[in-house]
Amino acid sequence: MDFAFSTEHRALRRLIREFAENEVEPLAAEIDREGRVPFETLGKLGQIGLLGVCFPQEYGGMGAGEIGYCILMEELGRVCTSTATTVGAHIGIGAMSIYLDGNEEQKRKYLTPLARGEKIGAFVLTEANAGSDAAAIRTRAVREGDSYILDGTKTFNTNGSFADIVTVLAVTDPTLGARGGITAFIVESDMPGFQVGTHENKMGIRGSSTAELIFEEVRVPQENVLGNVGEGFVSFMKTLDLGRLTLGAACLGGAQAALDWSVRWARTRRQFGEELAHKQSVQWMIADMATQVEALRSLVYRVAWMVDTGQPFTQMAAMCKLYGSEVASRAIDVALQIHGGLGLSRDFLIERFFRDARIAEIFEGTNEIQRIVIANNIFRRHGVRIRP
Amino acid sequence: MGDSYLDLLMAQQEEAPTEEIAAEGGGGIWVVADISDGAVAPVTLEALNAARALADALGAYVYGVLLGEGVADLAQTLYQAGADAVRVASLTADDTSLAAFVLEPYLRVLSDLFEAEQPEVVVFGATRAGGQLAARLAQAFGGGLIEHVVAVSLDEATRTVQASVPIYGGEYFEIVACPEARPQFLTIEPGAFPAPFLDTYRTGEPALLEVAPVEPRVRLAGEAEGFEPPAVPLAQAPVIVAAGRQAGDFELVRQLAHALGAQVAGDRGARDAGWIEAGQVIDVRGVEVAPQVYVAVGVRGDTFHNAAIEGAEFIAAIHPDANAPIFQVADLCIEADPKDVLPALIEALG
Amino acid sequence: MKIVVILGRVLDPAGIVVNRRRGRIFVNREEYVMQPADACALEAALQIKDGSDAEVIALPRGLLPDDDDVLRQALSVGADRAVNFVGRIGNPPYGDGVMARVLAAAIERLGETDLILTGATTLDTGQGQLGPRLAGVLGWPQVVDAWAVRVAGDHVETVCHIPPPLRGGLGGGNPYTILEVDLSAVVTVHPGALKLRYPDGARLINVYRDEKAVEAWVVTDLVSEEALQPLLEKRGRDFPPERERSVRLEGAPQEVVQVLASELRKRVG
Repeated sequence: MDFAFSTEHRALRRLIREFAENEVEPLAAEIDREGRVPFETLGKLGQIGLLGVCFPQEYGGMGAGEIGYCILMEELGRVCTSTATTVGAHIGIGAMSIYLDGNEEQKRKYLTPLARGEKIGAFVLTEANAGSDAAAIRTRAVREGDSYILDGTKTFNTNGSFADIVTVLAVTDPTLGARGGITAFIVESDMPGFQVGTHENKMGIRGSSTAELIFEEVRVPQENVLGNVGEGFVSFMKTLDLGRLTLGAACLGGAQAALDWSVRWARTRRQFGEELAHKQSVQWMIADMATQVEALRSLVYRVAWMVDTGQPFTQMAAMCKLYGSEVASRAIDVALQIHGGLGLSRDFLIERFFRDARIAEIFEGTNEIQRIVIANNIFRRHGVRIRP
Repeated sequence: MGDSYLDLLMAQQEEAPTEEIAAEGGGGIWVVADISDGAVAPVTLEALNAARALADALGAYVYGVLLGEGVADLAQTLYQAGADAVRVASLTADDTSLAAFVLEPYLRVLSDLFEAEQPEVVVFGATRAGGQLAARLAQAFGGGLIEHVVAVSLDEATRTVQASVPIYGGEYFEIVACPEARPQFLTIEPGAFPAPFLDTYRTGEPALLEVAPVEPRVRLAGEAEGFEPPAVPLAQAPVIVAAGRQAGDFELVRQLAHALGAQVAGDRGARDAGWIEAGQVIDVRGVEVAPQVYVAVGVRGDTFHNAAIEGAEFIAAIHPDANAPIFQVADLCIEADPKDVLPALIEALG
Repeated sequence: MKIVVILGRVLDPAGIVVNRRRGRIFVNREEYVMQPADACALEAALQIKDGSDAEVIALPRGLLPDDDDVLRQALSVGADRAVNFVGRIGNPPYGDGVMARVLAAAIERLGETDLILTGATTLDTGQGQLGPRLAGVLGWPQVVDAWAVRVAGDHVETVCHIPPPLRGGLGGGNPYTILEVDLSAVVTVHPGALKLRYPDGARLINVYRDEKAVEAWVVTDLVSEEALQPLLEKRGRDFPPERERSVRLEGAPQEVVQVLASELRKRVG
């Protein structure tokens, strides 16, 4: 068993870390304060090719695989959760859905500009009445000639407010439900009827865009059906599965940052005549944090390796998301405690990481859903089909 | 009466060495002078001091070499600093560009000279001119060159100079030597060696060198108008002067920064006083810095400020309160009102 | 146009802790980075190459036995070729006297080189002699410590920092001076002079996956064994005195100011 990263992945990590420190970190506080998306950063990432890090080079990507993508998310998550969220929504679910289910024509027309960073993508699923219960979506797609007319409202969408290419789930046959009645479509944001609604005013990841998207009789050509008609739900679940792994990687980055800053403060801050590092309570906090970070790291990169070597990964990816989000939340909470009053200062980064961390236990499938997925997979192997 | 008895005594004892020493063609510690502002550069005097110590231990002579236009008058300074003999190469030119250092003509003079003289050691200042000459001559003579030397000792058995080279800007030093190849070439770091006592009674008659005309291959084509070097962000500034609430007159702080070529910053108190912008606040909640030199003027120095200058290599602090926490982290502490100290300090820095 | 860039690696000082009291160096994180000045030289070469058909070839500053990472970095960022040397030269990093001969032989083998760029100084040992030594062996003119490099036809324009008193007759207050030199020439570049570009990601992945991306030449094919004998040797280490904090300057105000001024002058240079 060789746990070492390959030379190309080590070189990739070095590149991304430099980029993260020079280009992403300096803007992190500002985009949070102003509630804006760092378009200039996206442009630079695109130029280097990082917005297509995991896609094959024949589609304009970098060819660095899931391991490369996890490295990107970890290094971005280490400095700015908002940027990691925006990038993750673009690569890991937006472009990825086209990569997993698109035909050759769609990959050439849509995946390539996304991989090259020439266009930005988004993945549009959630509605007001359909969060964890994704199959309860009501956006309709009615067949009319050689097109489909999409109509409905989507909520809590990341990137949708400025994306060029979005993949949308809509109901083609209300009688069939999740199996056979839901279809995925590729929609270009300049198609008439596509509108951006209200922007959410969020507690955290304020440097990413979360907005309502309104489809008002948007005419989508049948060439833009992604995958097969009626199989949209199943294919979207595949995409979400993969997205869970990389969200775990972003959480790893955030947890590592929390650990690094905690260690730094513990060895700097003096109270009662000695540094905090000499207090056993702080030592135990740091030890627990470090152990969880290492366990998460092993889990994330092992699952990335499983994906890159074609092994089944659904259950393990769900574990990455579940464990990652909980480790990150716990780590930043402890980090804030270690920093004391300084942890609350809005001029210091800890409180931003604290606000940013909370969403990880909720989006991309709540942790409750992750637990169901994991349990389902375990019991199914033992012949028990859990009643939904 | 004429000269005092002391003058006569000194004149007798210090006779200018004659050409005889050079005629033997063997060894010696040679120092190639740097000229700055029409005078011998301080680094050259420091080099002569070091050369003197080496020469005394080796039982050798110290030679000085002056190159340039109108430098013959400077020869006496070299004698006063310890040279036993001085060579002067007066380069004349029609255009004034040769008054400044030009590589090829100087190189030719020194090559011919060292070919004839066979020095044991040649010392240059670690300057733009000295560094280039040293490297080219070392290559031409098959010698080893050790640059930016800050200390020397002698391996007397093999007559080898052991030179201390600062690593990572002085984190530690490596001792390097050139055991076999001769001459041994060194460039010494300005300010690392002590300046010699200039003995005004030491005089001599410099020997003039023949200069063959050699065309310089680099042309000075004017000032680079409008050239701006890349801006250095505060977090990477090598020298910083920071103001705190007790700084008093911020204009003095600015002048001090100018005198040191430093960037201006401050603590939260300075920001509250309206002297600096948010991006100049030195604090864990602001900018963290790691300069080589940090001067804290009237900065009280709480934990959050002091943690942000953890990486500073040298901290000097001026504050009126003896109990100011800045004094626990500063290397050099001055308990005084900055208004009383800064004007004199600015003047002393020139 | 053919440009050769000479690149070296250095141990990242951020991973080192020096214990002055015990006279020990602890390497917490052994990571090598490209010499910062060499990275600027590479960037200068690539800027000259941008939009032209110039060829940029990377050579190593010293022997990099198994680790040709800096050469691969050069390829990732846009160099056309990279050659590593295989063999033994004693005592890096003080091997410039020997490397100059090896590099000169390699450059003759590459043929028809117009410009050689390398860093003006090394981060660890502060040595700047490699460029001038190489110029000496090749018999080419040299410009050292340039802040900018631009090719104009058959010559190179560089910007160097030369204070007016050292510029002879050229008056004025701006120390940044234009120095011109005819090709073929050696130019060394000041560290931090240029903003470095990022590599192209796909190119990076491909370079690191391709075992044959960096060519390998044997040093003994280039120079004789005698020429490889090192000139310098390391004889030990020394450490600065421990940092003494909270030293109060006492005495008459004038004295105190003089002491402080002298300390500052010494450190600021």
